Amino acid sequence: MKLTQTQIEKLYQFTRQHYVEWYDLQTELVDHLANAIENQLQQNPKLSFEETLQIEFKKFGVFGFMDVVEKRQRALRKQYNKLVWSYFKDFFSIPKIIGTASAFIFLVVLMLKFQFANIVIITLFMISVIIFFIGMIKLSRKNKKQNKISGKKWLYKDIIYSFGTFGGLSYLPIQIALQLYDKINFFNLIPSILISATVISVFLFNYILLFIIPSKAEHYLKKTYPEYELANSL
Amino acid sequence: MKNSQLYKGSLNTIIMKLLEENGRMYGYEITQKVKEITKGELNITEGALYPALHKLEAEDLLDVEVEKVDNRLRKYYKLTEKGTKETVNRLTELEEFIKNMQSIVNPKLSY
Repeated sequence: MKLTQTQIEKLYQFTRQHYVEWYDLQTELVDHLANAIENQLQQNPKLSFEETLQIEFKKFGVFGFMDVVEKRQRALRKQYNKLVWSYFKDFFSIPKIIGTASAFIFLVVLMLKFQFANIVIITLFMISVIIFFIGMIKLSRKNKKQNKISGKKWLYKDIIYSFGTFGGLSYLPIQIALQLYDKINFFNLIPSILISATVISVFLFNYILLFIIPSKAEHYLKKTYPEYELANSL
Repeated sequence: MKNSQLYKGSLNTIIMKLLEENGRMYGYEITQKVKEITKGELNITEGALYPALHKLEAEDLLDVEVEKVDNRLRKYYKLTEKGTKETVNRLTELEEFIKNMQSIVNPKLSY
Protein backbone atom coordinates (compact mmCIF):
# COMPACT_ATOMS: atom_id res chain seq x y z
CA MET A 1 0.00 0.00 0.00
CA LYS A 2 1.34 3.41 -0.94
CA LEU A 3 1.01 6.35 1.44
CA THR A 4 -1.44 9.09 0.56
CA GLN A 5 -0.67 12.75 -0.02
CA THR A 6 -2.14 13.59 3.41
CA GLN A 7 0.09 11.05 5.11
CA ILE A 8 3.14 12.45 3.30
CA GLU A 9 2.14 15.92 4.52
CA LYS A 10 1.93 14.47 8.04
CA LEU A 11 5.47 13.17 7.70
CA TYR A 12 6.68 16.64 6.68
CA GLN A 13 4.97 17.98 9.79
CA PHE A 14 6.59 15.27 11.87
CA THR A 15 10.10 16.24 10.68
CA ARG A 16 9.36 19.90 11.43
CA GLN A 17 8.23 18.97 14.93
CA HIS A 18 11.53 17.19 15.36
CA TYR A 19 13.60 20.27 14.57
CA VAL A 20 14.32 19.73 10.90
CA GLU A 21 13.83 23.26 9.58
CA TRP A 22 15.07 22.78 6.07
CA TYR A 23 12.97 21.51 3.21
CA ASP A 24 15.83 19.66 1.51
CA LEU A 25 16.48 17.55 4.59
CA GLN A 26 12.78 17.15 5.34
CA THR A 27 12.23 15.76 1.85
CA GLU A 28 14.95 13.16 2.14
CA LEU A 29 13.76 12.06 5.58
CA VAL A 30 10.11 11.98 4.50
CA ASP A 31 10.89 9.66 1.60
CA HIS A 32 12.94 7.44 3.90
CA LEU A 33 10.20 7.25 6.55
CA ALA A 34 7.55 6.70 3.89
CA ASN A 35 9.43 3.75 2.37
CA ALA A 36 10.04 2.26 5.78
CA ILE A 37 6.41 2.70 6.86
CA GLU A 38 5.08 1.17 3.64
CA ASN A 39 7.35 -1.78 4.19
CA GLN A 40 6.27 -2.19 7.83
CA LEU A 41 2.59 -1.94 6.94
CA GLN A 42 3.00 -4.64 4.36
CA GLN A 43 4.53 -7.00 6.90
CA ASN A 44 2.24 -6.06 9.80
CA PRO A 45 -1.05 -4.88 8.30
CA LYS A 46 -2.57 -4.57 11.78
CA LEU A 47 -0.36 -1.67 12.75
CA SER A 48 -1.55 1.91 12.26
CA PHE A 49 0.29 4.61 10.35
CA GLU A 50 1.15 6.42 13.60
CA GLU A 51 2.49 3.29 15.26
CA THR A 52 4.76 2.40 12.36
CA LEU A 53 6.00 5.99 12.23
CA GLN A 54 7.06 5.76 15.88
CA ILE A 55 8.79 2.42 15.24
CA GLU A 56 10.73 3.82 12.31
CA PHE A 57 11.61 7.07 14.05
CA LYS A 58 13.10 5.11 16.96
CA LYS A 59 15.60 3.60 14.54
CA PHE A 60 17.23 7.03 14.22
CA GLY A 61 18.39 6.72 17.85
CA VAL A 62 17.93 8.87 20.95
CA PHE A 63 18.89 12.08 19.19
CA GLY A 64 16.35 11.59 16.43
CA PHE A 65 17.17 13.56 13.31
CA MET A 66 19.63 15.84 15.09
CA ASP A 67 22.70 13.93 14.02
CA VAL A 68 21.63 13.83 10.37
CA VAL A 69 20.95 17.59 10.42
CA GLU A 70 24.22 18.42 12.10
CA LYS A 71 26.34 16.34 9.76
CA ARG A 72 24.53 17.75 6.75
CA GLN A 73 25.31 21.26 7.97
CA ARG A 74 28.93 20.33 8.33
CA ALA A 75 29.10 18.83 4.85
CA LEU A 76 27.44 21.83 3.20
CA ARG A 77 29.60 24.31 5.09
CA LYS A 78 32.61 22.47 3.79
CA GLN A 79 31.22 22.68 0.26
CA TYR A 80 30.65 26.43 0.73
CA ASN A 81 34.14 27.03 2.12
CA LYS A 82 35.58 25.21 -0.87
CA LEU A 83 33.62 27.48 -3.18
CA VAL A 84 34.80 30.66 -1.39
CA TRP A 85 38.35 29.41 -1.49
CA SER A 86 38.20 28.69 -5.22
CA TYR A 87 37.01 32.26 -5.90
CA PHE A 88 39.75 33.61 -3.65
CA LYS A 89 42.42 31.67 -5.54
CA ASP A 90 40.93 33.01 -8.74
CA PHE A 91 42.15 36.50 -7.77
CA PHE A 92 45.69 35.17 -7.75
CA SER A 93 45.66 33.70 -11.21
CA ILE A 94 45.85 35.38 -14.60
CA PRO A 95 44.25 37.80 -15.45
CA LYS A 96 42.85 38.91 -12.09
CA ILE A 97 46.24 38.78 -10.38
CA ILE A 98 47.22 41.96 -12.25
CA GLY A 99 44.56 43.91 -10.34
CA THR A 100 45.31 42.19 -7.05
CA ALA A 101 49.05 42.77 -7.37
CA SER A 102 48.62 46.43 -8.38
CA ALA A 103 46.40 47.14 -5.37
CA PHE A 104 48.90 45.36 -3.15
CA ILE A 105 51.92 47.28 -4.45
CA PHE A 106 50.00 50.55 -4.21
CA LEU A 107 49.24 49.89 -0.52
CA VAL A 108 52.80 48.88 0.32
CA VAL A 109 54.22 52.01 -1.32
CA LEU A 110 51.59 54.13 0.39
CA MET A 111 52.53 52.73 3.77
CA LEU A 112 56.23 53.25 3.18
CA LYS A 113 55.98 56.80 1.84
CA PHE A 114 52.83 58.46 3.11
CA GLN A 115 52.90 60.02 6.55
CA PHE A 116 49.25 59.41 7.37
CA ALA A 117 49.10 55.92 5.95
CA ASN A 118 47.92 54.50 9.27
CA ILE A 119 44.77 56.60 9.09
CA VAL A 120 44.12 55.39 5.55
CA ILE A 121 44.63 51.76 6.55
CA ILE A 122 42.42 51.95 9.63
CA THR A 123 39.74 53.71 7.57
CA LEU A 124 39.93 50.91 5.00
CA PHE A 125 39.45 48.29 7.73
CA MET A 126 36.49 50.19 9.14
CA ILE A 127 34.93 50.54 5.69
CA SER A 128 35.26 46.80 5.15
CA VAL A 129 33.53 46.14 8.48
CA ILE A 130 30.69 48.53 7.67
CA ILE A 131 30.21 47.01 4.21
CA PHE A 132 30.20 43.55 5.77
CA PHE A 133 27.52 44.33 8.34
CA ILE A 134 25.28 46.23 5.94
CA GLY A 135 25.62 43.43 3.39
CA MET A 136 24.93 40.77 6.02
CA ILE A 137 21.73 42.48 7.17
CA LYS A 138 20.53 43.08 3.60
CA LEU A 139 21.16 39.49 2.49
CA SER A 140 19.60 38.03 5.60
CA ARG A 141 16.45 40.11 5.04
CA LYS A 142 16.30 39.07 1.41
CA ASN A 143 16.61 35.43 2.39
CA LYS A 144 13.89 35.67 5.04
CA LYS A 145 11.54 37.39 2.62
CA GLN A 146 12.09 34.71 -0.03
CA ASN A 147 11.59 31.95 2.53
CA LYS A 148 8.35 33.51 3.64
CA ILE A 149 7.02 33.65 0.08
CA SER A 150 8.00 30.07 -0.82
CA GLY A 151 7.32 28.66 2.66
CA LYS A 152 10.50 26.60 2.36
CA LYS A 153 13.93 26.94 3.87
CA TRP A 154 16.98 25.49 2.16
CA LEU A 155 20.05 24.71 4.20
CA TYR A 156 22.62 25.66 1.55
CA LYS A 157 20.77 28.91 0.90
CA ASP A 158 20.93 29.78 4.59
CA ILE A 159 24.65 29.07 4.55
CA ILE A 160 25.22 31.24 1.46
CA TYR A 161 23.28 34.15 2.99
CA SER A 162 24.99 33.91 6.37
CA PHE A 163 28.48 33.15 4.95
CA GLY A 164 28.90 29.77 6.67
CA THR A 165 31.86 29.77 9.01
CA PHE A 166 33.16 33.05 7.58
CA GLY A 167 30.42 34.97 9.38
CA GLY A 168 32.30 34.44 12.62
CA LEU A 169 35.43 36.08 11.21
CA SER A 170 33.77 39.47 10.80
CA TYR A 171 35.29 40.80 14.01
CA LEU A 172 38.79 40.17 12.71
CA PRO A 173 39.28 43.45 10.78
CA ILE A 174 38.10 45.40 13.85
CA GLN A 175 40.62 43.62 16.03
CA ILE A 176 43.42 44.23 13.57
CA ALA A 177 42.54 47.91 13.22
CA LEU A 178 42.53 48.36 17.00
CA GLN A 179 45.85 46.56 17.36
CA LEU A 180 47.43 48.60 14.57
CA TYR A 181 46.43 51.96 15.83
CA ASP A 182 49.66 52.87 17.62
CA LYS A 183 51.76 49.74 17.76
CA ILE A 184 53.12 49.20 14.31
CA ASN A 185 55.90 51.15 12.72
CA PHE A 186 54.44 51.92 9.33
CA PHE A 187 57.64 52.77 7.58
CA ASN A 188 59.10 49.26 7.71
CA LEU A 189 58.85 46.92 4.80
CA ILE A 190 57.75 43.70 6.53
CA PRO A 191 54.79 45.16 8.47
CA SER A 192 53.75 47.08 5.37
CA ILE A 193 53.65 43.89 3.33
CA LEU A 194 51.74 41.96 5.99
CA ILE A 195 49.18 44.69 6.57
CA SER A 196 48.65 45.32 2.86
CA ALA A 197 48.11 41.61 2.28
CA THR A 198 45.56 41.55 5.10
CA VAL A 199 43.67 44.58 3.75
CA ILE A 200 43.54 43.05 0.27
CA SER A 201 42.35 39.69 1.64
CA VAL A 202 39.64 41.29 3.78
CA PHE A 203 38.27 43.19 0.78
CA LEU A 204 38.46 40.14 -1.46
CA PHE A 205 36.54 38.03 1.06
CA ASN A 206 33.97 40.80 1.42
CA TYR A 207 33.53 40.91 -2.32
CA ILE A 208 33.26 37.13 -2.68
CA LEU A 209 30.92 36.55 0.28
CA LEU A 210 28.65 39.55 -0.21
CA PHE A 211 28.54 39.99 -3.96
CA ILE A 212 29.93 37.21 -6.14
CA ILE A 213 28.39 34.14 -4.47
CA PRO A 214 24.97 35.67 -3.61
CA SER A 215 24.65 36.91 -7.20
CA LYS A 216 25.09 33.32 -8.38
CA ALA A 217 23.12 31.79 -5.51
CA GLU A 218 20.38 30.40 -7.76
CA HIS A 219 22.94 28.61 -9.89
CA TYR A 220 24.60 26.96 -6.89
CA LEU A 221 21.28 26.06 -5.32
CA LYS A 222 20.06 24.36 -8.48
CA LYS A 223 23.32 22.47 -8.66
CA THR A 224 23.10 21.30 -5.05
CA TYR A 225 19.36 20.66 -5.14
CA PRO A 226 18.01 19.13 -8.34
CA GLU A 227 14.58 19.50 -6.71
CA TYR A 228 15.00 23.25 -6.16
CA GLU A 229 12.95 24.44 -9.13
CA LEU A 230 10.51 21.56 -8.93
CA ALA A 231 9.79 22.21 -5.24
CA ASN A 232 9.47 25.95 -5.59
CA SER A 233 6.86 25.49 -8.28
CA LEU A 234 4.77 23.11 -6.16
CA MET B 1 24.54 -2.29 13.30
CA LYS B 2 26.14 -5.48 14.48
CA ASN B 3 29.66 -4.86 15.83
CA SER B 4 29.23 -1.33 14.63
CA GLN B 5 32.72 -0.22 15.59
CA LEU B 6 34.25 -2.76 13.24
CA TYR B 7 32.08 -1.78 10.29
CA LYS B 8 32.17 1.96 10.84
CA GLY B 9 35.30 2.69 8.86
CA SER B 10 34.05 0.73 5.88
CA LEU B 11 30.62 2.32 5.54
CA ASN B 12 31.67 4.74 2.80
CA THR B 13 33.29 1.95 0.83
CA ILE B 14 30.19 -0.22 1.20
CA ILE B 15 28.00 2.59 -0.14
CA MET B 16 30.32 3.27 -3.06
CA LYS B 17 30.54 -0.40 -3.96
CA LEU B 18 26.74 -0.70 -3.97
CA LEU B 19 26.38 2.36 -6.18
CA GLU B 20 29.01 1.01 -8.53
CA GLU B 21 26.97 -2.16 -8.96
CA ASN B 22 23.48 -0.70 -9.01
CA GLY B 23 23.90 2.66 -10.70
CA ARG B 24 21.72 5.06 -8.78
CA MET B 25 20.08 4.29 -5.43
CA TYR B 26 18.13 6.14 -2.74
CA GLY B 27 18.82 6.04 0.99
CA TYR B 28 16.24 3.51 2.08
CA GLU B 29 17.12 1.24 -0.84
CA ILE B 30 20.74 1.14 0.32
CA THR B 31 19.81 0.04 3.86
CA GLN B 32 17.56 -2.69 2.45
CA LYS B 33 20.14 -3.87 -0.06
CA VAL B 34 22.80 -4.28 2.62
CA LYS B 35 20.37 -6.19 4.78
CA GLU B 36 19.47 -8.43 1.85
CA ILE B 37 23.06 -9.17 0.81
CA THR B 38 24.20 -9.94 4.35
CA LYS B 39 20.97 -11.83 5.12
CA GLY B 40 20.13 -9.42 7.93
CA GLU B 41 23.55 -9.69 9.57
CA LEU B 42 24.55 -6.14 8.77
CA ASN B 43 22.11 -3.32 9.43
CA ILE B 44 23.14 0.18 8.39
CA THR B 45 21.52 2.67 10.74
CA GLU B 46 19.73 5.71 9.36
CA GLY B 47 21.76 7.94 11.64
CA ALA B 48 24.97 6.75 9.99
CA LEU B 49 23.84 6.35 6.38
CA TYR B 50 22.71 9.90 5.57
CA PRO B 51 25.71 11.66 7.10
CA ALA B 52 27.94 9.32 5.08
CA LEU B 53 26.02 10.03 1.86
CA HIS B 54 26.13 13.79 2.47
CA LYS B 55 29.83 13.69 3.16
CA LEU B 56 30.56 11.76 -0.03
CA GLU B 57 28.38 14.22 -1.93
CA ALA B 58 30.29 17.21 -0.50
CA GLU B 59 33.53 15.54 -1.58
CA ASP B 60 32.20 15.40 -5.17
CA LEU B 61 32.28 11.61 -5.11
CA LEU B 62 28.51 11.35 -5.43
CA ASP B 63 26.00 13.23 -7.51
CA VAL B 64 22.27 13.53 -6.82
CA GLU B 65 19.09 13.30 -8.87
CA VAL B 66 15.58 13.98 -7.66
CA GLU B 67 12.38 12.51 -9.03
CA LYS B 68 8.77 12.55 -8.06
CA VAL B 69 7.69 9.03 -7.04
CA ASP B 70 4.36 8.12 -5.36
CA ASN B 71 3.31 11.58 -4.14
CA ARG B 72 6.76 12.45 -2.91
CA LEU B 73 10.21 13.55 -4.00
CA ARG B 74 12.93 10.93 -4.02
CA LYS B 75 16.63 11.71 -3.94
CA TYR B 76 18.88 9.30 -5.81
CA TYR B 77 22.62 9.07 -5.37
CA LYS B 78 25.09 7.96 -8.02
CA LEU B 79 28.86 7.93 -8.40
CA THR B 80 30.55 10.81 -10.16
CA GLU B 81 33.49 10.15 -12.44
CA LYS B 82 35.80 11.00 -9.55
CA GLY B 83 33.72 8.71 -7.34
CA THR B 84 34.06 5.77 -9.73
CA LYS B 85 37.84 6.11 -9.71
CA GLU B 86 37.90 6.49 -5.95
CA THR B 87 35.78 3.36 -5.50
CA VAL B 88 38.51 1.27 -7.10
CA ASN B 89 41.10 2.71 -4.69
CA ARG B 90 38.94 2.22 -1.64
CA LEU B 91 38.04 -1.35 -2.55
CA THR B 92 41.69 -2.22 -3.00
CA GLU B 93 42.39 -0.64 0.36
CA LEU B 94 39.58 -2.58 2.00
CA GLU B 95 40.72 -5.88 0.47
CA GLU B 96 44.21 -5.21 1.71
CA PHE B 97 42.78 -4.55 5.16
CA ILE B 98 40.76 -7.77 5.14
CA LYS B 99 43.85 -9.71 4.07
CA ASN B 100 45.92 -8.21 6.88
CA MET B 101 43.23 -8.88 9.43
CA GLN B 102 43.02 -12.46 8.24
CA SER B 103 46.73 -13.03 8.67
CA ILE B 104 46.52 -11.63 12.19
CA VAL B 105 43.38 -13.45 13.26
CA ASN B 106 44.07 -16.67 11.46
CA PRO B 107 47.80 -16.91 10.62
CA LYS B 108 47.60 -20.41 9.11
CA LEU B 109 45.24 -19.33 6.35
CA SER B 110 47.46 -16.59 5.11
CA TYR B 111 49.85 -18.93 3.31
